[in-house]
Amino acid sequence: MGKAALTRDHLPDAAALDSRLQALLLHHEIESFNARYAQALDEQRLADWTDMFTEDALYVVLSRENFDRGLPVGLIYCESKRMIHDRAFALMETSMFAPRYLRHIIGNQIVLSAESNGTVKSRANYVVLQVLLDRPDATLHQVGVYYDVFRRVGGTLKLAERRCVYDNLLVPNALCIPV
Amino acid sequence: MAWQRIASLSEIAVDAVLGVDVDGSRVALYRLANEVFATAGICTHAMALLSDGFVEDGNIECPLHQSQFDIRSGKALCAPATEDLRTYAVKLDGDEILIDMEQQAEFTQAIPKPMPDRQAARPVTDTQTISATNSDPELALMKRYVWPTEGLTRIPDWVYTDQTIYEREVEKIFHGRTWNYVALECEVPNPGDFIRSNVGPTPVVVVRAADCSINVFENRCSHRAAEFCRELSGNTKEFVCPYHQWSYDLHGNLAGIPFRRGVNGKGGMPADFNAAQHGLRRLNVTSHRGVVFASYVQDMEPLQDYLGPEVLKEFEATFDGRKPRLLGYYRHTLPGNWKLYHENLKDPYHATLLHTFLVTFGLLVAGNRSLMLADATGRHGVMASAKSERKSISSDAKKEMRAYRDGMTLAEPRFMDFIEEFDSPWSVTMATIWPNLIIQREMNTLGVRQIVPTGPHEFIMKWTMFGFEGDDDEMTRHRLRQGNLMGPAGFLGLEDNEAIKFVQDGMRHVPGRQHLVKLDPAVAAGTSDSLISEASIRAMYRHWRAEMGL
Repeated sequence: MGKAALTRDHLPDAAALDSRLQALLLHHEIESFNARYAQALDEQRLADWTDMFTEDALYVVLSRENFDRGLPVGLIYCESKRMIHDRAFALMETSMFAPRYLRHIIGNQIVLSAESNGTVKSRANYVVLQVLLDRPDATLHQVGVYYDVFRRVGGTLKLAERRCVYDNLLVPNALCIPV
Repeated sequence: MAWQRIASLSEIAVDAVLGVDVDGSRVALYRLANEVFATAGICTHAMALLSDGFVEDGNIECPLHQSQFDIRSGKALCAPATEDLRTYAVKLDGDEILIDMEQQAEFTQAIPKPMPDRQAARPVTDTQTISATNSDPELALMKRYVWPTEGLTRIPDWVYTDQTIYEREVEKIFHGRTWNYVALECEVPNPGDFIRSNVGPTPVVVVRAADCSINVFENRCSHRAAEFCRELSGNTKEFVCPYHQWSYDLHGNLAGIPFRRGVNGKGGMPADFNAAQHGLRRLNVTSHRGVVFASYVQDMEPLQDYLGPEVLKEFEATFDGRKPRLLGYYRHTLPGNWKLYHENLKDPYHATLLHTFLVTFGLLVAGNRSLMLADATGRHGVMASAKSERKSISSDAKKEMRAYRDGMTLAEPRFMDFIEEFDSPWSVTMATIWPNLIIQREMNTLGVRQIVPTGPHEFIMKWTMFGFEGDDDEMTRHRLRQGNLMGPAGFLGLEDNEAIKFVQDGMRHVPGRQHLVKLDPAVAAGTSDSLISEASIRAMYRHWRAEMGL
């Protein structure tokens, strides 16, 4: 009895260790998901970006003004992967905009909840920098927060929901590549 | 350039005024010593003939309410007139007085105060000759605003790039005789509700008072000019300037001044200070079908008259009596001149050429039934088209459209569905309401876009997207889905913003030239039933030139 008490005092609890490791792994998994997400957008591989969503995914880019007041209008408002696909397709095939480079920086990931069915709620801050080819500077194109819901599809994390809520209410001219 | 004889010098005594009719316009002709000047013949305040007035010290005094104007510049010098008189170029040919109704006497906005007087000492000749032959170094700096001789088929760059022109637009247009959109009533449904808005670049507050009236006043404390209201929207019982706590009621009246009577009998406002004279500057307000407009001019004609019957009909087709419901905002900057946005929506030519999305998916082709309407004044317009079924697009039209691709389809085509809800033959209308409003009815996605100019090279656009009370959840979501076409990330909206930026870039990098707007010569300026037309742009500039006196 005394021996068992000693073990508990001096060695980490196996279950606690397991759950901390799981949290770390999940955090890492989301962080690397976001890194791949940013890379796909930076390289303008919009088909790859589309594949990071579930079939029924919601993808909305909306201002903090609208979000805070419960107003639903979004700069981009996709209610399904099919609409995300159409967005990607139209941007690549039909849209006219000046060539540009974008850099998506994602940080401050926080897992808010992880359910046993694999659904994860999380958030992260993001910054999008934009470079136009005739200007020397990279401008802060958008700064905001991702409110996310992830689900596992065949073991892989996919976005079931990403609401990109941006703080800079005045969009500089046009948002050409998703955030 | 049409010089015409209107009188002889011997008909006017020195320091006298003569009324003449030129092409149906009343003109007042003045003689000061050996110089002759001409202005509009009717006072800008009320309908009074200036030729019945009184000339003294180079000014004309209106016979009716004693407003005075500078004869040389047309400038309004004292109340009740606030608007300047239009001036006309006159010259002498021997004893004959000639007038050119299309030219101003001088355009002296850019010149420092003492300049007009010095200039007036010169004999009056053709304005262009004055500028070109000027040897006075100060006058040589004077900017020239000469419209190209080709007329309305050319628009000079200075219309879009010049700071002086911009400042004159604020004065003559946004603060002039116009109704400016400021809000939807559904943004301020309850007493105390307010939003920040703008009239031209000027920040205003739109607020509903306890008596349910909607009031609009400048967001500028009458004490030290502080922009006191900082929240985009909210609800309040009063406005208090944070700097010195001056407070105003919801009608803009000055309600309280801290330490008005000083402390311990010292300091404070003068005893004769009259708070009633120091309220916030209030604007004239009108509202129609839930859309609120404001004007700096107190005796504006009713909005219905301002819009004219055709544009009013389109306005009421969109605002059809159902109560608008706020769905949210888009706000963006646009690095181009504000008029380019009007022009883009008076230019149906670009629709199928720039917006490949529409054509790729067979939503609009050049053969679609359409109308580019201009009101009688040329300032307002409505671009309208009717959606065609994909199968009905003729092979000729397809060939014309470089982007048309058979079989290219959307994975989620329902977002482009048009659910019939309006009593109108058009599925898409874009109404440009002078000077700061666009009413967008793109099938079922509805919005009002407010132009807030911030200088010649940039403006802010605020889109207020709405549905109607009574929309079910699915209809609201349909409007939101269709909203993907619009705004600064919209399939159409982002392209318009980019194209307008390109235009401004072109003018800034290769300056001093002019635009070509010659399409559709069958219509000199006005309504056209062809998409391949710039007649509405020409109509807008006919109006703009008259308002600006250019």
